[in-house]
Amino acid sequence: MSLETTFPTTPPTPPRLPPLRRLAARCMSSPLGGVIAALVLIFGASCLLSPHFLTGFNMMIMARALAFIGLVTIGQSILMILGELDLSVGAIGGLAGITGGMLMVQAGLNPWLSLVLCLLLGTVCGMFNGVLITQLRLHSLVLTIGMAGVYGGAILVATKGVAITGVPVDISFLGRGLVYGVPVPFLILLACLGVVAFVMVRTPVGRYVYAIGSNPEAARMLGLRVDAIRIAAFATAGFLSALAGILMVARLGTAQPSIGDTWVLAPIAAAVIGGVATTGGLGSPVGAVLGAVIIGMIENIIVLFGISPYWQSVVSGGIVVLAISFDSLARRYLHREA
Amino acid sequence: MAARAADDHAPLRFVLIPKTVHPWFDKVNTGAQAAADLLGKTTGRKVEIEYRAPETADVSSQNDIIERAIATHPDGLILDMLDEKGNHATMLEAVDEKVPMTVFDSLPPEGMDITAVGADFCEQGTIAAQRLAGLIGEKGEVAIMIGVPTAPNHTRRAECERAAFARYPQIRVVATGIDNDSIETAQKQASAIMQAHPDLAGWVACDAAGPVGIGQAIRESGRTGKVKEVGLDNLNDMIQLIRDGVADSSASSRPEMQGYWAVIAAWQRALGQKTPKYIDTGIDVLTKKNI
Repeated sequence: MSLETTFPTTPPTPPRLPPLRRLAARCMSSPLGGVIAALVLIFGASCLLSPHFLTGFNMMIMARALAFIGLVTIGQSILMILGELDLSVGAIGGLAGITGGMLMVQAGLNPWLSLVLCLLLGTVCGMFNGVLITQLRLHSLVLTIGMAGVYGGAILVATKGVAITGVPVDISFLGRGLVYGVPVPFLILLACLGVVAFVMVRTPVGRYVYAIGSNPEAARMLGLRVDAIRIAAFATAGFLSALAGILMVARLGTAQPSIGDTWVLAPIAAAVIGGVATTGGLGSPVGAVLGAVIIGMIENIIVLFGISPYWQSVVSGGIVVLAISFDSLARRYLHREA
Repeated sequence: MAARAADDHAPLRFVLIPKTVHPWFDKVNTGAQAAADLLGKTTGRKVEIEYRAPETADVSSQNDIIERAIATHPDGLILDMLDEKGNHATMLEAVDEKVPMTVFDSLPPEGMDITAVGADFCEQGTIAAQRLAGLIGEKGEVAIMIGVPTAPNHTRRAECERAAFARYPQIRVVATGIDNDSIETAQKQASAIMQAHPDLAGWVACDAAGPVGIGQAIRESGRTGKVKEVGLDNLNDMIQLIRDGVADSSASSRPEMQGYWAVIAAWQRALGQKTPKYIDTGIDVLTKKNI
């Protein structure tokens, strides 16, 4: 008996979708399509529902608030793509801010030199986390919970809980300044995001990060320097957290021991909303920052709409769940239609 | 002055922003709503209070809430500032946007023409410490429960309590707990401290949650009456502890009155009237006899 395989003479024609669905399908075929679509929907709804939303002042304050959490989100998203997490990023940001305040006010050091030293401190703290995780084979989640206690405790030891006031005005431009109406911290965020996005997409290092995140053992067998890349990623996250911390000091004009307290869970949530997989290997820092934009927008409209503070968590949590579900449901719907 | 204030018929809208979500601030809000109701009824012009509390007592989070409130251009902001320096830049934004401000439970940054409503934190701590000193016969071991170590009002009360105890040569502060404004943490800390110091004669606290946890620890250890407690503020749990005889008394600020007078001052500001620099709402000593 002979087996005969027959091939169609012409390839099957994909079903023709209506124009609107075709546009949606094209959008959703992009990895960032879902988060961008959710963002556009929330933005549009906010514009329609609140007369205070689309004003220059409100856009300015949203952009500035985004800058701090956005910087931490970039670092956390790199780690998540790598399959790691750092729960001490907030404490590192706080420690860098406090150290900056102490160097500038108590030691009388030049503010710009202090800023550089703070960034160095943040990098070293992140690198230290990375070294412990890679050399002792510890789980990053567990280790960084402990390190968050260490860095956070160091802040209390150094300050006794009291804010450091009298930060020189020389650096206030970094936190409060505007360039053509755009907040300086937001411009710094864009610059950092540009550099990180370039490295992740256009350089071998970025591809190694995705490879390690997808399968660390396979990456190791391919000869990639897995530990070195992990340490570098933790150091980058530490650097970006320290940058956020010192910018917050410049913004407030004081070094508050509470800086960074709210920078732990929000960046992880932002990254997940932006399509970064918690299991590693998927997503991008750009998507993560777009996730942070969604969270920032939700926090903004909650106040503009006058929602009770007791309902804020329910509302913001619900919108986040909707935003994540929207991406998944839209993809499933379009897949079924196709 | 905000556009709505200029319109004689539009409701006046004030945004009340406390330090964080906390039962003490709920009482402030109750007082604020009462003042708004009264003003609405007596003047015929509705007064609305929007309560916007940061989820955590963090200056940057509070600044974000203040900025978002400014974006809605209310007729006034009523603020409990977490840190006068940390909030300063944001308050200047309110000035730029011509949104009048009133502060309560805190003092405004120097040079800003803003009415402050509140009580003296130092006086409150001193009253509590002096009362405890009297209860224990001016001798023995005492402990202080600090609330949130980064909260200026908590640290100020602690400083003044220490200073008050220092005036009694036979009183020794043997332990300091930190409860982070959590009743559960205060209870754990107080239990551990009483284990470590079996001769402890009394407790004072620096926040509203602390004395409730201390009272629970005293009751659980079966040392009611042996270990004296002078609490702080007037949360319902604190009042119950006084009723039950676990705590002797409480040096209480008057949160409802602070909210009430803050709205009155904000209302006058919105209408372009001059207001006092400081309104002292005083401190009550709550005992079994007067609660």
